[in-house]
Amino acid sequence: MSNRRTSRRISHSQRRGPPAGREWRKNQGTWRSQGETAMKEAEEEKPGCQEQETVPRGSCQSMCPLRELREREAQKRLHRFEILEGTEKDRRPRADPSRIVKEYSRPAAGKDSTIPTDLRPPAVLLKTVCYLIDDVAASPSLHPWTEVYNFVFDRLRSVKQDMIIQRVSGLESMTILELTVRFLIYASYRLCGEPLRLYDPRINDTHLQESLSWLLDCYATGAGPHPNQEEFQALSLLYNLGSTRAMQHAMELPERLRNSPTVSLALSISRAFLERNPVRLLRLSQKLNFLQSCALHRHLGTCCRDLLLIYSHGHSSRNCRFPLNRLAELLALERSLTAQLCQTYGVEVNQDNQVVFSKTAFTEPEQGKLHCELYHNKVAEKQRDLTVGSVIHGYT
Amino acid sequence: MAHITINQYLQQVLEAVDNREGSFCAELLSFKHPHVANPRLQLSSPEEKCQQVLEPPYDEMVAAHLRCTYAVANHDFIEAYKFQTLVAFQSHKEENWALPVMFAVTLDLRIFANNSEQSIKMSKQKQKAALLWFCSRAGIDDSKKWGMLFLINQLFKIYFKINKLHLCKPLIRAIDSSNLKNDYSMAQRVTYKYYVGRKAMFDSDFKPAEEYLSFSFQHCHRSSQKNKRMILIYLLPVKMLLGHMPTHQLLRKYDLMQFADVTKAVSEGNLLLLNEALVKHETFFIRCGIFLILEKLKIITYRNLFKKVYQLLRTHQLPLDAFLVALRMMQVDEVNIDEVQCILANLIYMGHIKGYISHQHQKLVVSKQNPFPPLSSVS
Repeated sequence: MSNRRTSRRISHSQRRGPPAGREWRKNQGTWRSQGETAMKEAEEEKPGCQEQETVPRGSCQSMCPLRELREREAQKRLHRFEILEGTEKDRRPRADPSRIVKEYSRPAAGKDSTIPTDLRPPAVLLKTVCYLIDDVAASPSLHPWTEVYNFVFDRLRSVKQDMIIQRVSGLESMTILELTVRFLIYASYRLCGEPLRLYDPRINDTHLQESLSWLLDCYATGAGPHPNQEEFQALSLLYNLGSTRAMQHAMELPERLRNSPTVSLALSISRAFLERNPVRLLRLSQKLNFLQSCALHRHLGTCCRDLLLIYSHGHSSRNCRFPLNRLAELLALERSLTAQLCQTYGVEVNQDNQVVFSKTAFTEPEQGKLHCELYHNKVAEKQRDLTVGSVIHGYT
Repeated sequence: MAHITINQYLQQVLEAVDNREGSFCAELLSFKHPHVANPRLQLSSPEEKCQQVLEPPYDEMVAAHLRCTYAVANHDFIEAYKFQTLVAFQSHKEENWALPVMFAVTLDLRIFANNSEQSIKMSKQKQKAALLWFCSRAGIDDSKKWGMLFLINQLFKIYFKINKLHLCKPLIRAIDSSNLKNDYSMAQRVTYKYYVGRKAMFDSDFKPAEEYLSFSFQHCHRSSQKNKRMILIYLLPVKMLLGHMPTHQLLRKYDLMQFADVTKAVSEGNLLLLNEALVKHETFFIRCGIFLILEKLKIITYRNLFKKVYQLLRTHQLPLDAFLVALRMMQVDEVNIDEVQCILANLIYMGHIKGYISHQHQKLVVSKQNPFPPLSSVS
């Protein structure tokens, strides 16, 4: 019975409450973080308050529990990045204890995910995440990056699972979430355009939104200080451009936070998007740093489209002559790419490189075309000599 | 009521149940009724007594209710909430006549949740569970659906509070598909349309939003000044976006002078005043969740400002520079001629201006007939 209850909890993100019923009293007290101490105290004082539910506490001090290491070794289910050097060609490759990481496994009935020796305490989780970032994601020698991504993605998912089971809150969970969010945002740019079987942007998006949501929750409920909060409030706005929910959340932030340069730039960009002023938006977005550009980049296709759409209507006349160069400047793209873009949207460019806008000519291209790819070079330029590792650790 | 004995109280409950008097029974279990102040009823272990007089499930329900009154008397809202949930669950097992009981109990439940500073999420879970229980018992029996709107309104309240508006959609679908939707009481329909109107606003469906909120405002009881004001807070921005400005009398009558400057700014095309007004009453607007909608008024304000430029210059070929000057006068920061073109292009696209921009001549050429169509005819 208890197995099933715990499994059910794991398969949801932390934000959903426990099942309705009398159990709520026992579960709620430990779900909330520091904010809700009043209720916790009240419960503890009450006489006759039986069976305070114990929160599982991990005792596994390595990145992968010994049991799993042996199991996967025996079943030959080691990932290529986890195999002990020199044993790759053996009949049974050996696991490298310094490189094997607990994998994500779907909760199932009858499977107990709360055995302490299988769970990694917060400090170990943090070390695991740093290993995954510094030694795998940022490694110059592991290729291809799609494989690196899939490995890190899976292992981070397992870290999150351990965090949920142990109800980790506080500084460690925040640091882990911050690293996770940066990694997923960077990946959303780096792997943009890769074939679906290697990288699915929607799965990346789901996990990114979950982690971001959890992180913003931590900021809202945890006692400060949160030195990176500005960075992530801004990233949330940029990644969720156009979302009124994200904007409303940002508007409700304390003034000091809202007026910080990072957040206020993100807000200005959001406003420009909601007002449908792509010229302003693209101009402001030049000021963003590399990671912020990664967060914003998937929306740039929409911005281009908006510009071509409203200009097609606004300049629609037979005598219209709009210099292609000027359009390229506004879009912050090279001339050839701009011409390509015009072609995709049915916008005519004549021999003198003048755009002839016409509201009847503008057509939406077929579904699925990723126009944000046009901006990949521009975003890449911002990376300059920043290493992957420094990006994910938040150095700009 | 304040002096009866526990036995007398239980007898009254028994009679109410036997005679299927829903409203009276509801009063006996409601915290709005004076009996809750009666110290003789505030018992910490009333179970036996209740079992002696009442049949299940009323024995448990009333026992939980009495323990609740005890808890409230001791200002222990956490305990109160706990017991109220038990009452709530028991009350769902009942037939149609007991619906008023369920209403009263659920309402108290929500109030306790707020008072005990519980996570609103918990009360949401409770309400959701309540609704699901209720619906599962409803089956094909139409009579159960009567209670649906009340519960749904309660859920709306919670979803709005925790800012999870997308959860409203399935509820709206459920009511829309119900054939009873026009047969509910006016109060419930007013509440329902209020929330649906707000949701439509949030989704930028301004025409339907205006419809719902107007209905709500018109049919809200004259004496509920507070509720009328609440509806107006959301109706005003929607109407303004559709070009209808409120009068000062209206704003004064409902104590909504925060909108006065905004109204003035928008109708005059005064961007500077608009920005100032939004900042001045920022806290109020953000708290009500209308700040973002009011920002949309910027577009209307641009339109009004540019119309003034057109009226001043009295020509159909307006230099773009004129608009740039107008914006700079309004202290719009960092705006350049490219952005002016963009704003104009957007206004043309939206139908607020009839004409086209000539980039070569750096002019806006407007139609000789009705270049600035009335706002109500656009969007």
